[in-house]
Amino acid sequence: MPDAVIMEGITKTFGPKVAVREMNLRVPEGALYGFIGPNGAGKTTTIRMIMSIMFPDSGRLSVLGKASAVESKDRIGYLPEERGVYKKMKVGAFLRLIGRLKGMPGAGLDAKVRGWLERVDLADVYAKRCDELSKGMQQKVQFIAAVLHEPELIILDEPFSGLDPVNMRLLRDLFLEQHAAGRTVIFSTHVMHQAEQLCDHLIMINKGNKVLDASMEEIRARYDPRTILFEPLDPGAAAAAVRGLQGVGSISATNGVLEASLVDGAEPTAVMRRIVEAAPVTRIELRRPTLEDVFIDIVSRDAGSEADEASLRASLREEAAAGARA
Amino acid sequence: MMHKVVAVAWREFSSTVLTKAFFIGAFLIPALAALAIPLIVKLTDEAKAPELVGTIAVVDRSGEVLPGVEQRLSVEGIAGLIAETSAIAREAIAEQLGEQAAQMQEHMDNPMVQAAIAQAFGPPPRLTVEPLPGEADVEVQRDRLKPSAEGDADALVALAVIAPDSVRKAEDAAAYGGYELFVRAKTDDRHIDLIRRALRDAVLEHRYAAAGVDATDVEALTSVSAPRTQEITDTGEARGATSALNMMLPFVFMLLLIMSVMVGGQYLLTTTIEEKSSRVVEVLLSAVSPMQLMTGKIIGQMGVGVVMLSIYMGVGMSTLVAFSLADLVSPEKLVYLIVYFVLAYFIFASFMAAIGSAVNELREAQSLQTPVMLTVMLPYFFWMPITRDPNSVFAIVLSMVPPMSPFAMVVRIASTEPPPAWQIFLSMGITAAFALGCVWFAAKVFRVGLLMFGKPPNFRTLVKWVRMA
Repeated sequence: MPDAVIMEGITKTFGPKVAVREMNLRVPEGALYGFIGPNGAGKTTTIRMIMSIMFPDSGRLSVLGKASAVESKDRIGYLPEERGVYKKMKVGAFLRLIGRLKGMPGAGLDAKVRGWLERVDLADVYAKRCDELSKGMQQKVQFIAAVLHEPELIILDEPFSGLDPVNMRLLRDLFLEQHAAGRTVIFSTHVMHQAEQLCDHLIMINKGNKVLDASMEEIRARYDPRTILFEPLDPGAAAAAVRGLQGVGSISATNGVLEASLVDGAEPTAVMRRIVEAAPVTRIELRRPTLEDVFIDIVSRDAGSEADEASLRASLREEAAAGARA
Repeated sequence: MMHKVVAVAWREFSSTVLTKAFFIGAFLIPALAALAIPLIVKLTDEAKAPELVGTIAVVDRSGEVLPGVEQRLSVEGIAGLIAETSAIAREAIAEQLGEQAAQMQEHMDNPMVQAAIAQAFGPPPRLTVEPLPGEADVEVQRDRLKPSAEGDADALVALAVIAPDSVRKAEDAAAYGGYELFVRAKTDDRHIDLIRRALRDAVLEHRYAAAGVDATDVEALTSVSAPRTQEITDTGEARGATSALNMMLPFVFMLLLIMSVMVGGQYLLTTTIEEKSSRVVEVLLSAVSPMQLMTGKIIGQMGVGVVMLSIYMGVGMSTLVAFSLADLVSPEKLVYLIVYFVLAYFIFASFMAAIGSAVNELREAQSLQTPVMLTVMLPYFFWMPITRDPNSVFAIVLSMVPPMSPFAMVVRIASTEPPPAWQIFLSMGITAAFALGCVWFAAKVFRVGLLMFGKPPNFRTLVKWVRMA
């Protein structure tokens, strides 16, 4: 399958700061790709370069077969991280303007705008001014602006930030539907579990470098589970009983749930059996590493960085959304 | 990709012009002012000119002047006085207008204009003269003037007391006597003036008769004819020295240019900052290139400037037509004005777009905007010297060097000595090249600036961005 986006050796600097370094990546047509990484990692800069809003200092870029998105802007839908609307403009007029700017013909445009507003439960805001809308509503309007012209490639920068769970699900369904219709979808997020739920393929970015580029299956296969999670009937006694069992490394406890790491070479099923024999449990599972774990693992293996794990983890969760921008 | 530029331009234009604020500022206020002036004139006229009907008592202590006074205060006498006054006013206006005097004269004979002049003087007073004996007690007669006496059968509107020596000098006296005039409170000053003129003329007439001189001789003796000053040009042609109107026209042209350029430029700055600070710019940039966006915005706001320019040009031209002075402004002068508007606007708008894209909020734009604003204000200082001598070296140089050239050249074009055509076209060429350079500079800054947030830049940063882009 041809590639919707190709980046080869792309570098972008802002003064002394290198925002993106030697980035190589390919997004095949029809794929659902996630760009993940903490805030300030270079996700937005990468996306802006794909959008030709910024231009790389060096390297080669191809978007939908063209050397730059300037020539294929009308075939791309974009939801920027910085949501912006014309405050004084009516919602309907705003969406029509964007449609016109995206090269849509004037005939039938209004009907499409109204149809989309209905789909996202915003039929009654057509004649309202943009600044009368709540943030979540504005975000949905922005999403319509990104997909109204039926683009082949949809790029969503942090599409879920600031949305409540109901609207988050609505938006997710809408863009999964776009993906199902055969469109290429790229989205970025710093919240790892969202990417984990949605993507076929992940590109992990940290400090301007691509640190991981793999499909979800590859990631799961590569990071096989090395932790056993169990909930004993008597947590106090269980810790002592399990410690020292063959194949069990360190043990940690949180809220009555114990985590036992496996020593190298230990067979998970055998160790689990031993644990159940040593202490009665209500639940026991082999824990899959989360993306967060994968990310922490990759970053801490990176020789140059002495990352503080707790702060790194915090930056990958929802609460950090208000933090620094990429 | 033209349709995108058009879409941006249309939004820019409609979001500026089709608003209440613009409608009020551009149409309603001038329209109200235009309506208010005649209304105020009418109101003051009606308020100040109540009809003056009544009796004027004349105590003629000289015993000679009364017939003259009676004749001049009669209805015909007053009408004659008014005609004489308006003729004097007409001459004064003609003097000011210079070359247009003949036209103006024709215009003044128009019955409507005559009616307007009559209106200005208010309804002529209709007075009955009541002669009183010379020994009448003035103190007693004055009581008849009291406002409380109004409506009484013997009430007066005025009381004139002619001095005994007003016609013949008393022995050993250096001067003649005059007259005293008493009027009822709140009498219109135009009526008082008329009565005083009538009394003065009557006294003079009798003095001339008593001295045995002919009144027309005196008038001939005291009148010195002095036609308007004339200038001799190189071609030997004589023409009127610069009159007030000839000085005003270049100023009006310059003002129109400054205003229309500033209006569009100012809006451009505001909308660019708004788009940047509301972050809508990134959505726009995902659909159009920075160059398309800037071009569309500049063209859209140029439409706003054109609207303003047309309104004021239309009002100005119809005023001139109303006064039969349309010859003053030839069509090609208006065409030049429009061409220079476009050139000046592009120069100015480029800087406004660049500044708007570089800053985060309007407040930060102040320091960058000041030099640009000062440049546009400069013409106020050199309008006078250029109008006085439109073909001086100073004027020629200024009209060739951008960014001042549009303003200076427009002043020269509107002056009494328009520059030769080659100078106009040379200046247009130089200015157009400069305008293109400005657009190029602005496009570079615009592209980089739109997505730069943070510390407000200075001009050095802008130049750095140009190198970067």
